[in-house]
Amino acid sequence: MGFIHFLELILIVAILLVIGIPLFGKLKLKKLVEPVDPAIDEFKHLLVRKEETLISIKELEFDFNTEKISEPDYKELLHRLETEATGILEHLDQLEQESKKGKPHKSH
Amino acid sequence: MNDIGEFTLLVALATAIYGCIAYVMSARGNRIDLYLSADKTPFIVWACITISSICLWRAFLTDDFSLQYVWAYSNRELDTFYKVSSFWGGQKGSLLFWTLLLSTYMLVVYFQNRSKNLRVVPYAMAVMLVIVVFFLFLINFSTNPFERIPLPPEDGRGLNPLLQNYWMVIHPPTLYLGYVGFTVPFAFAVAALISKDLDDGWIRMTRKWTLISWFFLCMGNLFGASWAYVELGWGGYWAWDPVENAAFMPLLIATAFLHSVMIQEKKDMMKVWNMSLILLTFAMTIFGTFITRSGLIQSVHTFDEATLGYYFLAFLFVIIAACAALIIARLPLLKSANELDSFLSRESSFLFNNLLLLGIAFATFWGTIFPIISEAVRGVKITVGPPFYNQVNVPIGLALLALIGIGPVIAWRRATFSNLKKNFLKPVLAGLVAAIALFPVIPLGNRAEIYTYITFVLCVFVLVSILTEFYKVTVSRMGLHEESVVGALATATWRNKRRYGGYIVHIGMVLIFAGIAGSQAYGTHTEKHLQLGESFEIRGYTITYEKLVAVEATSIKTRIIAQLAVERDGKRYWTGHPEKEFYKGQNQPVSEVDVLSTWKEDLYMILADFREDESATIKVYVNPMVSWIWTGGWIIAFGTMISMWPDRLEQRRRLDRVRKQEQLFPSPAQE
Repeated sequence: MGFIHFLELILIVAILLVIGIPLFGKLKLKKLVEPVDPAIDEFKHLLVRKEETLISIKELEFDFNTEKISEPDYKELLHRLETEATGILEHLDQLEQESKKGKPHKSH
Repeated sequence: MNDIGEFTLLVALATAIYGCIAYVMSARGNRIDLYLSADKTPFIVWACITISSICLWRAFLTDDFSLQYVWAYSNRELDTFYKVSSFWGGQKGSLLFWTLLLSTYMLVVYFQNRSKNLRVVPYAMAVMLVIVVFFLFLINFSTNPFERIPLPPEDGRGLNPLLQNYWMVIHPPTLYLGYVGFTVPFAFAVAALISKDLDDGWIRMTRKWTLISWFFLCMGNLFGASWAYVELGWGGYWAWDPVENAAFMPLLIATAFLHSVMIQEKKDMMKVWNMSLILLTFAMTIFGTFITRSGLIQSVHTFDEATLGYYFLAFLFVIIAACAALIIARLPLLKSANELDSFLSRESSFLFNNLLLLGIAFATFWGTIFPIISEAVRGVKITVGPPFYNQVNVPIGLALLALIGIGPVIAWRRATFSNLKKNFLKPVLAGLVAAIALFPVIPLGNRAEIYTYITFVLCVFVLVSILTEFYKVTVSRMGLHEESVVGALATATWRNKRRYGGYIVHIGMVLIFAGIAGSQAYGTHTEKHLQLGESFEIRGYTITYEKLVAVEATSIKTRIIAQLAVERDGKRYWTGHPEKEFYKGQNQPVSEVDVLSTWKEDLYMILADFREDESATIKVYVNPMVSWIWTGGWIIAFGTMISMWPDRLEQRRRLDRVRKQEQLFPSPAQE
């Protein structure tokens, strides 16, 4: 067996060991992910929406200050965005309360 | 070493196949042992491909002509610089280079995301590995760069002289970095579809990747245009060549995607549209490789031994069919609850921008594939030339340019008509002033000149519209924070990198539009056969043919250099040295042009022919405003850098989200 073939053999054995060890070793966790908990997904989604709504409010203020939008439109859109933000915050609070009360939800 | 290079390619293929299967099985079977095993494969695949690439580079640098690929694209006299770039000079090496970049991107994604969203990441890695498998399969079994020659020749055939140019060293890697980069958002989009995790998480995870890929694709197109301009010697930089189009189309669709994802992030809508756009962008990158490697379409840019077209076509169909099926299957989940607040809003201007960009992409696509279709239907290959593209794309391009100026003036969600009138006043007035000022000085004799006139007017409108935005925010900050002009401008830009970086990119686009319009409409050229000492005039330049010199540059390269004196207003202004280069073993000489580039115009000289009596045929082009295009490119690069720069505020918001999530649901929070 030439040196090159020996190197090739070493490489194959090393790769087989590296990818094989997790398959035959003992692992603390058995599952990759816990079953999807809709509450977590919703919470995650609402956090993002909250941020985006707050950014939109900031941008609306910027557009109003730079005279891109009239006062009546500004007020109407601001009201709509604030209502949206309030709704999201209430929903987040509700999820938080339910979680703290220990209302059964599948933990992740 | 060549044996090792060949062997590691096979190992990479086997490992990548295992990785794909293990990642998918780990996600479907929810098995952490399989995931941990699969998780080792991206690094192994990358390491194997890197070793293989090093072996090929070594073969080039040590003149190992036992490899058919090295023999075909190098020789002993080739500069080391070009020996390095010969790696991607032909089809075999370019595919290996593509795979090297792809596996490197995959490795970075792996390190970035391995502990994040484990519902999506395994599928994303599997998709990337599938693409790696496709390329490795081609390299191993169809176009192996380690193919041997039984009796190695003394010297190689040499690199095509047209490729011995610095732009050609940086143009292909830049373009490939763009092409390959779109694999990442594509993989995450497909993974989101498979895992049904269809909020905008995949967009946030890949936002930077999309920008980086767009940046490289944009720069790759511009570098390619620069190469064509200085190396092909026909006086132009863009010819609507199929391969140029192949690089241009994904750029257009990716630009549409970059704009429309903002609407999804803001309003949680247009999910199907964004999915379709990123899938189409990726499909177009594969279509580009199909064009260059099919041999079906003739182009100066296609590879000599283009034989892989049908593999790419099959791969393209599989991708499109699989993605379309996935999107249809997930349609109920992709529906958005929100809709546009008003027709008169920045969101709707983005929608129009999307339609226009796709319009240009479709027209370009149609023109590119028309020769194939005409040959299939009528048996005659009909090539579509620049007039078709210009006729269709120029008016759409002008509408797009106008939208670049309209966008910043319109408010998000809903613009008020009265305010819109007020905000449009300055840009429109500036445009009108430009229209009046330019009218008497600009010729308007044909359609091209009229389009150019409209372009200049629109450029002024757009520029004023964007600069007004910078002015407003600077004044606003100066009033609120008592900052200096420069300080206020810099802080405002830094605080909202995405918005103002984007505006800077748009300024670069304005310069490119102006440069293209100016150079296309007002250029002129002439060709003269001259004896030594004879002169001719072009656009105020007096050009005198002074001498012809032959230089033996290397044992395989002879340069024939003409010396041309350029006078302006009776004074010597510049000396041009266009030349012809003759390479041993190459039938055709290569023209090396000489260009005097100024902000106003380029004086572009070609030594077209010469005779033994030292008379020479000289071709001279005067191309106005070409340097505006390259300047625009650098401004785009600067703007993209600002947009891509990590945003601390955004990072803080992300960490805050993860913290809140962990507090409430004590488990490994996944972003």
